[in-house]
Amino acid sequence: MSSKPSSSQPVVNRRTFLKGIGTSAVAVASVQVGAMAEEINKAAGPGPQGPGAVPITLSINGEKMNFQLEPRVTLLDALRNHAPLTGTKEVCDRATCGACSVLIDGKLTYSCMKLAIEAQGHEITTIEGLAKNGELSPVQQAFVECDALMCGFCTPGLVMAATSLLASNPKPTVADIKRGCSGNLCRCGTYPHVIKAVLKASGAAVPETSVMIQ
Amino acid sequence: MAGWPNPSTVLGKAATRVDGPAKVTGQAKYAYDVQPAGWLYGMILRSKWPAAKVTKIDLTKAQSMPGVKAAILAGGDQRTVRYYGQELAAVAATTKQQCLDAIRAIEVTAEPLPFVVKEDDAIKPDSPRVFDKTPNLSDPKLEENGKVDAAMAQAAAVCEAELRTQIQLHHPLETHGNTISVQGDHVTAWASTQGVFSVRDGLAGNLGVPQSNVQVICDYMGGGFGAKFGPGAHGGIAAQLSKAAGAPVKLMLNRLEQGLAVGNRPSSIQKLKFAADKDGKLLAADIENYGSPGVGGGGQTAGGGGGSNIAMPYIYGFPNSRTKQFGVALNTGAASAFRAPGHPPASFSTESMMDELAVKLGIDPVEFRLKNDGNEIRRREFQEGAKRFGWAEKYKKPGSSPGPIKTGVGCAGGGWGGGGGGTKAEVQINPDGTVEVRCGTQDLGTGSRTVVAIVAAEAFGLHPNDIKVKIGDTNLPPSGGSGGSSTTASISPAIWDTCQKALAALQQQTGVTDARGANWEGACRKLGINPLTANGEWQKGLSSSGAGGVNFAEVEVDTETGFVRLKKIVAVHDCGLIVNPLATTSQVNGGVVSGIGYALYEERVMDRQTGLLLNINFDSYKIPNIADMPDIEVVLIDLPERGVIGIGEPAVIPVAGAIANAVANAIGVRVHSLPITPAKVLAALGKVPNVSRV
Amino acid sequence: MNSFQYVTAHTLDEAASLLGKNGRYLAGGIDLLGEMKDYIVSPDVLVNVKEMSPQSEFKAIRLTNKDACLIGASVTVAEIAAHDDVKRVLPGLAEAAGEVGSPQIRNVASLAGNLLQHSRCWYYRQPDIACLKRGGSTCYAQEGENKYSALFSGCACISPVVSNLSVILAALGATVQLRRKGDLHELTIPELYQEAWRNPSAHHSLQPGDLVLHVTIPLKRTRSAYRQQSEKAEFDWAMVSCAAAGNVAAGKVTDVRIALGAIAPVPHMVEEAHHFLEGKPLNDATASQAADLLLKGAKPLAQNGYKVPLAHTLIRRTLLALNA
Repeated sequence: MSSKPSSSQPVVNRRTFLKGIGTSAVAVASVQVGAMAEEINKAAGPGPQGPGAVPITLSINGEKMNFQLEPRVTLLDALRNHAPLTGTKEVCDRATCGACSVLIDGKLTYSCMKLAIEAQGHEITTIEGLAKNGELSPVQQAFVECDALMCGFCTPGLVMAATSLLASNPKPTVADIKRGCSGNLCRCGTYPHVIKAVLKASGAAVPETSVMIQ
Repeated sequence: MAGWPNPSTVLGKAATRVDGPAKVTGQAKYAYDVQPAGWLYGMILRSKWPAAKVTKIDLTKAQSMPGVKAAILAGGDQRTVRYYGQELAAVAATTKQQCLDAIRAIEVTAEPLPFVVKEDDAIKPDSPRVFDKTPNLSDPKLEENGKVDAAMAQAAAVCEAELRTQIQLHHPLETHGNTISVQGDHVTAWASTQGVFSVRDGLAGNLGVPQSNVQVICDYMGGGFGAKFGPGAHGGIAAQLSKAAGAPVKLMLNRLEQGLAVGNRPSSIQKLKFAADKDGKLLAADIENYGSPGVGGGGQTAGGGGGSNIAMPYIYGFPNSRTKQFGVALNTGAASAFRAPGHPPASFSTESMMDELAVKLGIDPVEFRLKNDGNEIRRREFQEGAKRFGWAEKYKKPGSSPGPIKTGVGCAGGGWGGGGGGTKAEVQINPDGTVEVRCGTQDLGTGSRTVVAIVAAEAFGLHPNDIKVKIGDTNLPPSGGSGGSSTTASISPAIWDTCQKALAALQQQTGVTDARGANWEGACRKLGINPLTANGEWQKGLSSSGAGGVNFAEVEVDTETGFVRLKKIVAVHDCGLIVNPLATTSQVNGGVVSGIGYALYEERVMDRQTGLLLNINFDSYKIPNIADMPDIEVVLIDLPERGVIGIGEPAVIPVAGAIANAVANAIGVRVHSLPITPAKVLAALGKVPNVSRV
Repeated sequence: MNSFQYVTAHTLDEAASLLGKNGRYLAGGIDLLGEMKDYIVSPDVLVNVKEMSPQSEFKAIRLTNKDACLIGASVTVAEIAAHDDVKRVLPGLAEAAGEVGSPQIRNVASLAGNLLQHSRCWYYRQPDIACLKRGGSTCYAQEGENKYSALFSGCACISPVVSNLSVILAALGATVQLRRKGDLHELTIPELYQEAWRNPSAHHSLQPGDLVLHVTIPLKRTRSAYRQQSEKAEFDWAMVSCAAAGNVAAGKVTDVRIALGAIAPVPHMVEEAHHFLEGKPLNDATASQAADLLLKGAKPLAQNGYKVPLAHTLIRRTLLALNA
């Protein structure tokens, strides 16, 4: 992460400082942690930050964005209300529903349970980052074609989940799809068509499960 | 039915949603997403007591906290609280964190009062009263046909049971809320709503401003299921905050609040006695129902009030019936309409009793229904469904499947209205051939935006993606709220009429005899500089009401763990002329998923001791997961001669009854209450030592 | 959440000193941030421990030359579930890890965080209820909605342990290495939860400032299995979970251990059941008797009695899985 000192910074960093004073002095040093943090902040790498707003840089969809945020601001909040990128949705705010799903270094993650400050130094991909040059990704295209969306509020999270699944498992079975999307809830009931969409995006045959008769 | 073209080019053909790309890219903006310049966060302080007399609410600390731009009372300084979550005060601040801090700085002084949150407790005469002057138990609403007792005495088979259903919470993914900007006596509101005009009406009244100064916009909304009509208490509060702060306020509820104060499906306690003759004809039904709509129920309503009415007796022909419908008040948030109000509990209990009778009489359950269902279309659906499901091969005597993992099958039916009317619309045809249709309706995820595009495209010989659709705005021609499964039947005729009028005007103005399809662009070019606009409205003859459907369910019950695994559901539905079979299939799938939750997982749990809600988020209020899905086969019966009818609600009705019957068929004993959890299955099988009745 | 300072620690000394009196370590954050959002806990500093050195301690899964598998505290549940060595030599652990939460949760949840996660009793988690565990005077579950409550407890709190990994690690005889006040400390899994058995305020036996380094799992029990039953198919807390580990040779089991989750504040184990099974074949009859021994003394409440037959089933199925 970002705590390694660059060559232009003084030699003293947190590690050498503590090593120098020795562990027996840690108790004494900890009383002065606030002052030490300031020293170290000036020297290299972040010491304790906050509780007020601090500068935070996030790499979102390949772009560096700068914020002034308190440590208690979640990545979800930073995305939606400060970037602002509202594609990622707030639905439960407690890691139970998946609507806030983003990729962090390619890993499917609930952004509501990630502090913005700890997402620094990682690659964040949101729903806005999937379509390239205005072209829907294969997963996005398949969702539209298979009608895997209704009100659409769960859709960004599910598209992220499906995208993540196919990245590590390009030919998933229906059981794989259910498992890969099991962290995402939908209230309108798009699940049967989501399964079809992921099959379609993976190039697999899509079973016909609906018929209209006169 | 005269009016709709046959054959058609796009009407009745599968079409992808015109707003699909916006939704899959995250570009679609919901009320939760809208961010007018200078917008503030709004949050509500809610009662922590289920019942209390509030004597003082002190806002002074909150008002002086960083970033706070307004702090108001919600209602007076003193009032009586009757449920956990009732609104007390609210703040608006620059950031979410500032709002949270300010809310927690509001000081409330209150005297807790006795309360009751359980139906069985509330019914007792010595229960604490929700409303001082009236008992919790209403007088019954009584309906009687024929001579029930005499018929019962003559019956060959009588089944008696007490069946219960739970409080179900809507829990749309987008919570309730609005972003509201009040500037003087002008109001703009971005609402998550099923009825933009209902919100306009409510806000104008709340603020005392002319309705013509209030614009409500709902371009996209994240689900409603019946609860999102009117601004709600939270909408009025957001408006007042905006007025006080002089800035737009976004006030969206959080997930906990969703479980407290914006509606629910009432619970039911149903004491039923059904009788039939030896040939399998139903003779009589004796029904005593208790519906619990929270503070919406009770003594001052004459049974069935506040949404407590369970639609009994349901769908089958009972020559003799007696129904006593009671309403029970609780110190919990009031009920609101939830997708087919009164019908899922009625279908569940009626269909459970039908299977009990069929078994007692030794008649095949599907045959038994065919003998007693007077609805010709639904009889066809039972037969069609049975055939595709493989009922004859799959149906076995209850509990007869060998081994600890038992399979079983069941079926159930439902019926609904779903007619429409009243919608007005406008269309603008531009000289470059582009088209914009405008209608103040809503798309809840039902696909109504695409319905508008399809109908217009059909009229003009174009493709739905060629039509620009503007909906969800009170500045557009009015349409009714999207409830009752009435939208498609309301908007389709209106759009058709509007576009027919526009087409006639275009042809008349340009001298082109048939401007449709390949001739379109050439004809439009002849318009010159100005676009052509036309208005139209709903016309008779293009829609009707009365839709229904049936479900067949196959389950596997692990009798050693109680776990119910759904294997297959066949859902057969009709809704007149099906405008878009792809979206209609999604509606049916969605209804099945909702019904699965009702049957197996969902239940709002209140704590008797504290009066508070216990399952406050989705880890404990359990809605179906993609992993819970069976194979779902959808059969749509297209009846174009009936015109357009809605399907949103019929789709959810027969699911739980079919599943409940499948479980009972599998294990040979019935679980009498929803949700059918593993704990209840084990208890029904006699495996839980300290539980006898389930 | 209330406000707090945030800092990343790179060494044990740093972590300890930065924690202060009212700090908390931040790993995956799923449990901690959730509690903070509901104001159940409000630390004034969060010390990020996902960047601790050496990585070979905190972030590695490796087989040591002492016939053990060492898994660092910061290793994610997803990494454990996917690891080839784990799947091969500790199959029950891979199964248990695969059942934790959802893909998103498994991607960030740490081994230590999973073990140390706080109660999921809905009274405890309700922001407006101060239950016994939260410092109030009443355990509301006793007379209330106790469908998910424990069948056994040594104190008035009947909130059961919900960590899937605790159950399998108990059966495997794992130990937890941690740093306490500058010294290395080791706890067995039962010791890790013992305090929760007897102290209603406790979720586990760790003291403030303790920092888990890694978990060491002996490989001596070559067979292991984990089974749970939830109300939904995925992403749902177990109503009951069961783990078993041992050796099977010539149709007989030796050195077997069985643990139950979600029925006690600790992974529930009964010596008598282990002794009974020693040297016997694992079949329906012996497994059933072992189950009876494990469930002896269970105190079902009004709503959780179903856990008894359910546990019985899971014990049988988990034990029989060792034969495979």
